[in-house]
Amino acid sequence: MRITLITIAIFVASLSIVAAQGIGSGGTIKDDGRFAASTKQLNQFFRRFNAEESPDGNTRFYTGDSLFQNEELRRQFILRLFDNETTGISADLKNQFINQVLSDNYPQYLKFHLGDWFSEVKAQFMFQGKRETATLILKIQPQGLGYEWVIDAVDFGPFRNLFDKPVGDEKDFLHPLSHELGFMNLRRAFQDSELPEAFTESSFSPDYLTIFLYEMKKGNLKFETVSNVKFHFFQIDGWYFEVAQFNRPGFNTGWLISSLVKLNTGDKETLQKYIYGSN
Amino acid sequence: MKNNIILFLGLFLISTATVFAQSETISPARKQAIDSLALEKVKDLSKYISIIGSKETQFSEANRVMDRAEELFAPGAEMGVSSINTSEIAYYKVRRYFERLMALNYDRVNITWYDIQYISDLERQPDGRYVGVVTIFQRFEGTSIETGMNYKDTTKKDITIYVEKKQTQIAGRTIEFWDVMLGDVRVTETSA
Repeated sequence: MRITLITIAIFVASLSIVAAQGIGSGGTIKDDGRFAASTKQLNQFFRRFNAEESPDGNTRFYTGDSLFQNEELRRQFILRLFDNETTGISADLKNQFINQVLSDNYPQYLKFHLGDWFSEVKAQFMFQGKRETATLILKIQPQGLGYEWVIDAVDFGPFRNLFDKPVGDEKDFLHPLSHELGFMNLRRAFQDSELPEAFTESSFSPDYLTIFLYEMKKGNLKFETVSNVKFHFFQIDGWYFEVAQFNRPGFNTGWLISSLVKLNTGDKETLQKYIYGSN
Repeated sequence: MKNNIILFLGLFLISTATVFAQSETISPARKQAIDSLALEKVKDLSKYISIIGSKETQFSEANRVMDRAEELFAPGAEMGVSSINTSEIAYYKVRRYFERLMALNYDRVNITWYDIQYISDLERQPDGRYVGVVTIFQRFEGTSIETGMNYKDTTKKDITIYVEKKQTQIAGRTIEFWDVMLGDVRVTETSA
């Protein structure tokens, strides 16, 4: 009850502050609450998840502020951070998640610099005269005096079947005494075979990002545009959730949880492999 | 009045520069001062966009305002624009974006701004500068008298701000202060 009153008070107080800070004085339009309710930036998703700002977003809470990371405020925020219109996440699963996040003994928060979260970006490129979609995985890393987003991996359709290493009897090989002949039979790998990857060690795994960058440096790949961005979070113990942007009318918009999965042992690695496109 | 506010903010930031230099962390009070300075720049940009987009603005005046608006931005800044129908982003250099805005073929153009904005935390980038994002919402209405067409849209503008420590000489003394420049702007048409 107390928190509800505080929330209402902050919201009402903020309306006058917002009006006073309007971008274009005179010609401003009053927001009917939809833009205030929208989770406008991923930064706001973090702040709301952790209850580190007021309900309208105008006041940033810091350590020592009475409502900083307040449990009840967090509960209200997190309930509204789900896509409640199109995503079929059950109320029971949401409650299990929220109860674990807000646990008295071990409350968990999202941390921007902590890792265990990354972005999946779909981008369009021109490759060999055709428009192709690449899925890029980007993550935050420390660099110099601060941080930067870096490309961790790429999944690119035209490369997907580029390597098809044969197995068993199908697999060609260099016989174990090849060294005695000064490896003259390397021609089998590089001249006669259409599958030179057959001659690589068992653990061989192509580095598609290197090939992607090589093609770009050679001028064969040209960036066109970004077409979609979403985020994957593994920071909450035993849980995975996806955050996507919902641009639609109403109050449940912006960056919202579009998928929630309770993880069992081994699920995290499997899911990460799937997202990275290496499954 | 506006000049007084900017002067006050400037002095406030200058007076706190020593604290920044020592710790390189930004206290909540300092962050608020930087937010205010950033909002001033964003307000200036909003004002310039309204003038450039207005059909009542003469060509020479629009060009002069475009120059002023360009000065708000760090070199190389771009506008990335997408609509409801396509999520793909069209990229324009800031000047080109303004020129396209000026050339819109409407007899009446009305650009207004919603009374809400959101300012992110500041994150430090590898070169030591801080970066943040200010989000604002714009309403555009264009009317063509000849065809009777009336076009309306509401766009969300996510504006990059760079916060950088600079130095100046005042009465022989080197004073450090923090300056705000605008960077890339993402323009997204909303369903509102």
